Amino acid sequence: MPLSIQIQNNSNPAHAGAVTIKLIGSLDTETAPELERQMTSCLAGPVNDLVFDLAGLSFVSSAGLRLFQVARKQMVARGGGRASFINMQPQVEEVFVIIQSLPGIGVFKDLEALDRYLATRPRPNLWPGTQK
Amino acid sequence: MTLELHATPAEVMRGVETLQDFARAQGLPERTIFGLALALEECGSNVVNHALQRDAQKQFQVVIEHTHHAFVIELRDGGPEFDPTAAVDRKPQAEDDDLPGGWGIQLVRRYTDEIHYARDGNENVLRLIKRVNPSADEKKLKNEPKPSTGH
Repeated sequence: MPLSIQIQNNSNPAHAGAVTIKLIGSLDTETAPELERQMTSCLAGPVNDLVFDLAGLSFVSSAGLRLFQVARKQMVARGGGRASFINMQPQVEEVFVIIQSLPGIGVFKDLEALDRYLATRPRPNLWPGTQK
Repeated sequence: MTLELHATPAEVMRGVETLQDFARAQGLPERTIFGLALALEECGSNVVNHALQRDAQKQFQVVIEHTHHAFVIELRDGGPEFDPTAAVDRKPQAEDDDLPGGWGIQLVRRYTDEIHYARDGNENVLRLIKRVNPSADEKKLKNEPKPSTGH
């Protein structure tokens, strides 16, 4: 079961530093290492809001949950950054519920709900070395 | 159905896909198939990563059976003795908690009805049983708390 990974920088100036990672397929023991590689490369830049769009994600195991947890910790370490999730399919959401996982990670119904949240929250610190 | 799989992640997922195809052919609901696939992925990954140390030369066996009342997955490996059913469920995570551990077996417990471990000679034998009874399936999951949404 393949996993398609699409990483997009947010072009909206109001959301500078936000990156969306769109996952399509299966995030499992075979595909998680590739996401980890791409995520590591992505997070080397000035990212302070990481959004996972899971509309196309049909399967996730603990191998994938571990990466979400890594993302959360890296965002938090950047001073108020956040990892968020939108468009979860029911079976994926159920896995999150069972684990009661990922405190500090936002789960949003869709992009509009995330945008509303981002518009009202304080700006996180930017990545060291970048301008505020 | 019996599968002989090499100790690699790709082989684990080959087993998962075979299970999904088999379960769909048997007419199981997609929700049940998802849970069975997740259970096999977690247990198969545990065998590959820990019992067999990702040694692709080594193999483990997966047997899949569907009876009138249950769907059974049996994993058999020649690794060191290890009983995953002895693992303790993790408590809900705190903000500063470390990386997840034991989440796999926690998921397996929730998506199956019975887990049995036995040491048979030099082999670990893990048997996962999912009763094929839609009303029981609904009962098991209906009281789950909802995740927070729309912060």
